[in-house]
Amino acid sequence: MSSYADVHRKTKLGEREAALRLKNNRLGMTIFQASWIMAFLALIVVNWQLRYSYAQWPPAGVTPFDATLPSIATFALLLSALLTRRGWQGLRRGDRAQFTRSWRLALLLGLGFVASIVYEFITVSEAALATHYGVTLRLMTGFHLVHALAIMAVLLYVLRQDASGAYSGDPRQSWAAEGAAKLWYFVTVAWILFYVVLYWLR
Amino acid sequence: MAPAENHEAAAVARPALSDYLRWSVDHKIIGVQYGVAAFLFFIVGGAMAMLIRLELWTPALDLMVSGSAYNSLFTMHGTIMIFLFIIPMWAAFGNFVVPLQLGAKDMAFPWLNAFAFWLIPPAAVVVLLGYFVNPAEAGWTAYPPLSTLFSGDGQTLWALGAHLLGISSIMGSINFIVTILNMRPPQMTLWRMPLLCWAVLATSIIAVMATPFLAGALTLLLLDRVAGTTFFDAAGGGDVLLWQNIFWFYSHPAVYIMVLPGMGVLSEVLSVHSRKPVFGYRMVGLSSMGIAFVGFTVWAHHMFTSLQPELRIPFMITTMIIAVPTGIKMFSWLGTIWGGKIRFTSAMLFALGFMSMFVIGGITGVMLAALPFDIHVHDTYFVVSHFHFVLFGGSVFAIYAALYHWFPKITGRMMNERLGKIHFLFTYFGFLFTFFPMHIVGMLGMPRRVAVYVPEFQLWNQVISFSAFVLGFSTFIVIYNVIRSYYRGPIAGANPWRALTLEWATTSPPPPTNFDDDPIPYEDPYGYGTEAAAVYLAVVERAFDGDSSGR
Repeated sequence: MSSYADVHRKTKLGEREAALRLKNNRLGMTIFQASWIMAFLALIVVNWQLRYSYAQWPPAGVTPFDATLPSIATFALLLSALLTRRGWQGLRRGDRAQFTRSWRLALLLGLGFVASIVYEFITVSEAALATHYGVTLRLMTGFHLVHALAIMAVLLYVLRQDASGAYSGDPRQSWAAEGAAKLWYFVTVAWILFYVVLYWLR
Repeated sequence: MAPAENHEAAAVARPALSDYLRWSVDHKIIGVQYGVAAFLFFIVGGAMAMLIRLELWTPALDLMVSGSAYNSLFTMHGTIMIFLFIIPMWAAFGNFVVPLQLGAKDMAFPWLNAFAFWLIPPAAVVVLLGYFVNPAEAGWTAYPPLSTLFSGDGQTLWALGAHLLGISSIMGSINFIVTILNMRPPQMTLWRMPLLCWAVLATSIIAVMATPFLAGALTLLLLDRVAGTTFFDAAGGGDVLLWQNIFWFYSHPAVYIMVLPGMGVLSEVLSVHSRKPVFGYRMVGLSSMGIAFVGFTVWAHHMFTSLQPELRIPFMITTMIIAVPTGIKMFSWLGTIWGGKIRFTSAMLFALGFMSMFVIGGITGVMLAALPFDIHVHDTYFVVSHFHFVLFGGSVFAIYAALYHWFPKITGRMMNERLGKIHFLFTYFGFLFTFFPMHIVGMLGMPRRVAVYVPEFQLWNQVISFSAFVLGFSTFIVIYNVIRSYYRGPIAGANPWRALTLEWATTSPPPPTNFDDDPIPYEDPYGYGTEAAAVYLAVVERAFDGDSSGR
């Protein structure tokens, strides 16, 4: 008689289970996004509460951040998210060429975004860093950069998997691509919140 | 009553003990892994509580080498009991029971489920390592500046460990929500779902929305400790209240993470063991959601003494409002057992124990919500008493009720009822005389978290300590009962309590895939006392136990 563990291992995934798995993955992703955005909101609360322990914001003697480069970066990120969506739609139609083209471009734009934000992170002035005006910028951009880089790695992984023909137009067989795209939207939304708080709310 | 071949059959069908020590994606194995691990931490945390009570036997500092040693002891006691015992323990019962109640073959994400569990041992090692290196002393709430300027490197490890446990909790909760929403059989609408599933759903919603805030707070604490930032240091422009806000935005909802599943257990156990439908089923389901929602609006009542005065009244009001959904549950439980054919099983006794203790904890909660009273007893033993009535009188009693109720399903064998009742008596009275007198010394002004106290309180403290030792002893009874029953308990059969929910419509323990084919739930999970229910139960009995039913 086979052991309990063996029986469990031999259980195969049927057709119906595959459909359920996609449904589960989609709901799970939605809940994850709703959940983890709270971590970004927590940092916004940090920024918000620290503002009120200063007489003015930005604190006296600190020049406000210039929003030009971050604005361009934000635009690039938005474009990148739209391109991931376009690529995913291409994949659904079986247009793998469009998928590859869009995702390559999306990754390139993502790289541009990351480079700009890294530049912002590095070039915070000494005066700003002496106050929480500069420190929260580093905290928030740093926290976001970790996510952006991790999820770009996922996008890259999916792109390489696709090169070896891993995905098809059937969404049940290409969840990795759909999931990666949704994670990238998450990065985009999280950044837009940070962007508004850091550069526009005075 | 059990013939020899029956014994044999039960022994073969259940997983080998070594299966529990390995990576497994089976929700039932993972459930037991969570449960056993959590109980081990309960013993560790309990031993620390015994040392705390031993120190408080006399007003002077005698057992501990210093006040710091005492500080780190209660810090670890609280941390272990909350993060390593109660929260994982509910993941244990949720894992084992929820998929079965839903008629599902497993959780929605089995691999993630296993991963969430296996984060706990390393996290525990990190937290406990901190205790042996240079322990944290700031209490489980880790308020700065205590946790930044006056606590050892153990505090850094504490924060890292808590981070891992938070991630584990989020992953587990996503899994529960998806499982509950997606994996029910078509006949089981939300309004036909067992109330434990409702409670776990509400708990998981709280956990996924609140725990990221803990992650945020811990990240800042780590940065302040290791990277020289000053988020919580007023001298550097920071704000200590920042920690309190973010921490309690997680940790107050976490109180409901710890007690809501217990409330779900109560609805199951009371209904089954008094053979009555749950009174006000829909309102009970909705009140779980109500608690989850209102639970997010009350956090600053932990900060009444440090909060801006104009914010106190709104938080006082929301805190009092949360007594309404809680009261609905209490009312439902009373209505459920009223006029029922009550069987005083061990599970039922612990459920009734929960009701009597939780109502005290609930009422002192309303008292503490009242601002003038709170300021009077702030940081006294009254607060210690209140939250132990909720977390021990509530959560732990419910954990015991769940253990006695589902042990037959988990192991295929019944627990010893006589030992169960002895365990109940020791726990009930040990608990009552440990924590009730704390109200009195608290009102008289004995501060919490201090190893020395004025001699006038010594008699009360000796009563408390003696009762605490009785309570500590009661744990050995249940450990003995579990081990003995695992090997030698009577064979349980599929449905020893004659319950209507789906986890009882399969063998005990269930096979690896839970059900042979798609189970069809009985139309009303709590429709006891009708002819149709009796017919359904007879069918279940015939299907799984054949003619060997000796009960």
